[in-house]
Amino acid sequence: MSPAELATLSDTLAWLAVVSYVVAAALFGLEFSFRVGWLGPAGLAVTVAGLAANLGAAVARGLAAGRVPWGNMYEFSIIVGIVTVAGFLVWVYRRPEIRPLGVFVLLPAVLAMALGGLVFRVPAGPLVPALNSRWIVIHVAAAITGSSVLCLAAVFSILYLVKDRVERRQRAPAPPLVAGGAKTADRVEVDQAVARHAGIWDRLPSADTLDELAYRTTAFGFPIWTFAIIAGAIWAQAAWGRYWGWDPKETWSFISWTIFAAYLHARATAGWRGRRAAWLAVVGLAALAFNFYAVNTVIVGLHSYGQ
Amino acid sequence: MAVELRPPAARPEPPSRRPGLGHTLRQAWREYRSMRTALVLLVVLAAASILGSLFPQEGISPRRVDQYFGDHPALAPVLDRLGLFDVFGSAWYMAIYLALLGALVACLVPRSRALVRVLRSRPPRGGSLDRYRTRAVFDTSASPEQAIRAARTVLRRHHYRVADHPDGPDPWGPGDPEGVPRLVGELSRGGPPVSRGELAAEKGYLREASSLLFHVSLLVLLVGLAYGKGYGYRGQAAIVEGQTWANARVAYDTFTPGRFFGLTRLAPFQLRLDDFTNSFHDNNTPKEFVSRLTALDLDGHPTQSQRVAPNRPMTVDGVRIFQSDYGYVPVVRVLGKDGTELLAPQEVLTLRDPASEWSTGAVKVTRAHPQVGLELTMFTGLRTAPDCPGGAPFCNDPRLVRPVLVVLPYQGDLQADRAQSVFTLDRTRLKPLGDRPLLLGLGQSGELANGLEVSFTGLKQYSVFTLARDPGVPIVAAAAALLLGGLIPSLYLTRRRIWVRATPAGPGTTRVELAGLALQGKPAFEGELARLAQQVERGTLDAPDRST
Ligand code: HEM
Repeated sequence: MSPAELATLSDTLAWLAVVSYVVAAALFGLEFSFRVGWLGPAGLAVTVAGLAANLGAAVARGLAAGRVPWGNMYEFSIIVGIVTVAGFLVWVYRRPEIRPLGVFVLLPAVLAMALGGLVFRVPAGPLVPALNSRWIVIHVAAAITGSSVLCLAAVFSILYLVKDRVERRQRAPAPPLVAGGAKTADRVEVDQAVARHAGIWDRLPSADTLDELAYRTTAFGFPIWTFAIIAGAIWAQAAWGRYWGWDPKETWSFISWTIFAAYLHARATAGWRGRRAAWLAVVGLAALAFNFYAVNTVIVGLHSYGQ
Repeated sequence: MAVELRPPAARPEPPSRRPGLGHTLRQAWREYRSMRTALVLLVVLAAASILGSLFPQEGISPRRVDQYFGDHPALAPVLDRLGLFDVFGSAWYMAIYLALLGALVACLVPRSRALVRVLRSRPPRGGSLDRYRTRAVFDTSASPEQAIRAARTVLRRHHYRVADHPDGPDPWGPGDPEGVPRLVGELSRGGPPVSRGELAAEKGYLREASSLLFHVSLLVLLVGLAYGKGYGYRGQAAIVEGQTWANARVAYDTFTPGRFFGLTRLAPFQLRLDDFTNSFHDNNTPKEFVSRLTALDLDGHPTQSQRVAPNRPMTVDGVRIFQSDYGYVPVVRVLGKDGTELLAPQEVLTLRDPASEWSTGAVKVTRAHPQVGLELTMFTGLRTAPDCPGGAPFCNDPRLVRPVLVVLPYQGDLQADRAQSVFTLDRTRLKPLGDRPLLLGLGQSGELANGLEVSFTGLKQYSVFTLARDPGVPIVAAAAALLLGGLIPSLYLTRRRIWVRATPAGPGTTRVELAGLALQGKPAFEGELARLAQQVERGTLDAPDRST
């Protein structure tokens, strides 16, 4: 196939992946809300198909451009989809019961990919000389993988915060009932009311499980992100003769790294474990997103390869 | 964190002392080296760094700082005093950073001591085992000794460090909810000591060890960065094709030595730019730029030669040489009305605009009367409408296809005795000469309104190099490797302790209890303990001689 045909194939596959993820998210969402048995496996099958299309899109893009398929923001968005969805599938393989959470993973992945396709799409082409180095293969691959895994972890942290709230409500002492003492029937009614109020969020896995998912996912992503930053510094040293210049990209990478390091500390600190730690992960997610969207497009620096 | 694996029981409070100054200081010190301080300082450092990306920074974009001063004349000086245009070099940023490093050192010392202490001591007794959440109990017909032997084998096979706590009065007493040791005398009154065996086993010290390795490497890495910066230097130099440049401080366009860098340490070499080429893709985005550089010793003998390009630096005597920019050098000659040479063919350095690829420069003809200044704009490929996009009257092809020099002449006083840029004219005492610019192709000449003849006789390129020496690189590289090597196990390993106790429970029956405590990874640990208990049970069944 010619490069032009490959590029078209890549675009088609990328949209196919997005559509599959949307369908799978809907299936998981229905499974989550209504507990219908067959929806989950169907969602899983569609997710796997979408991931295959997503991988195909990256490979075709790489062949079309004659280089690794992570050279600009559009291509990053494709890889973000692959890493988050694959990371989620690994978790489902190890803990089948978390499958319905797919809706909360696939929707952000779709958002990232659709944004990439609609806003940042550029024709497949070569790299500018400053980016043309074997370090790009290592540094950029690690940066996208690490930050995508950390985003996945932060999604679990958000779910943890939701579920933790539900659990605390349920644990809270029942409000005082009619004067003169509570009858047993009233107590049951109150419990039911509380359960109704919590709604479908009660169906999330236990807060402990979500916390564990978030931590283990962070523990996987953080070393990769650390490695990406180190590799970036080595690359900067090789390309410009300095490791670190505090350009906006470097600054925001440092910020998000520091926040996730704080998260890891918080997990081992009395009084910070749990909710506060999870909020740190959410802030970390915001920093990663800012680094990717705002810094690449609005703030200029040596790293502005956005468009 | 000095991790103590203890049963989840209350420990007796130490007797409270009257708070004095020493007490307060000790308290503050303990607070300073606590995890919470580290955590808060990390968050504060992140927040402070945000400021560095909100405001333009001197170190990255000095021009945008100037622009900010222009746009906000009232606010900018205030922000400047607060160090917001140089956040990462400001005193308060440094203070946060140093406080964090101090906390790191302060916490590494007790952590290391605690780890050594734990490694030296044997895993202690477990106290009453029914207090633990993670537990497994089974009855077996093997003797207590056999059960303990089987447990030891299983735990050793799983790389636990195992300590025997054989028979004897158990100072913890069964079922004591507080786990406070009782006096031995008191215990003996409770009846004869029962025959039983106990094992304490522990695993996962490597987690704490690698966490320490990670934190120490982080310190070493920062030391390596500071060392490299303090004892190294950075500078920029422009070399014209065919010229030789000597490595001396005056030859640099910019030079930033580290605080401890002695000038005598500049390595004695010269560089010759043999050739420079740049190329573009079909869509006119830059493809490659390459300098052929030769290093020479002071006697002019070539020592090495290399193609230097972005991401492909050359190393001479420990100095790394990076391709960083390039530009054009038109050669211009000026003849007087009578044919005398007012300006011998001169290489004029020009500044290249990376967006349009046209370059600007200036020629100062001080020997003309009155003096003549020429403003030059050099196009690499001048095109005129209708060849230009968007209906522009003219545009530039970045490839070197049709070099054209546009000359804007002035006459008057150049004020050449005052310090001024080589790229521009000081026009305060100059008046335009004639009413139209001169357009010269390569090799062409043209006449100015006052009869002077300007020729565009040749064209060369220059290449700009960043030269840097950083003696900290080996330290930083080693520290970075150790940092990653410590980080991964410290996040994946878990520290856990298991106790096994075998007690006679009726004739021919032994009750075996396993209880455990994990500092991390509790859900996985429950499964592990259950599996270990099964293996121990199977081990007791395999025991060859039953004593009953
Ligand atoms: C320079 C700032 C610091 C950074 C960037 C940093 C980073 C990290 C990271 C990434 C981890 C997780 C990996 C591991 O366990 O090794 C960690 C864990 C840890 N850090 Fe730090 N740290 C810093 C300072 C400190 C300080 C000052 C203390 C002293 C209180 C400290 C105590 C700990 C402890 C006890 C753990 C282990 C937590 C656990 O077992 O889960 N750190 N740190």
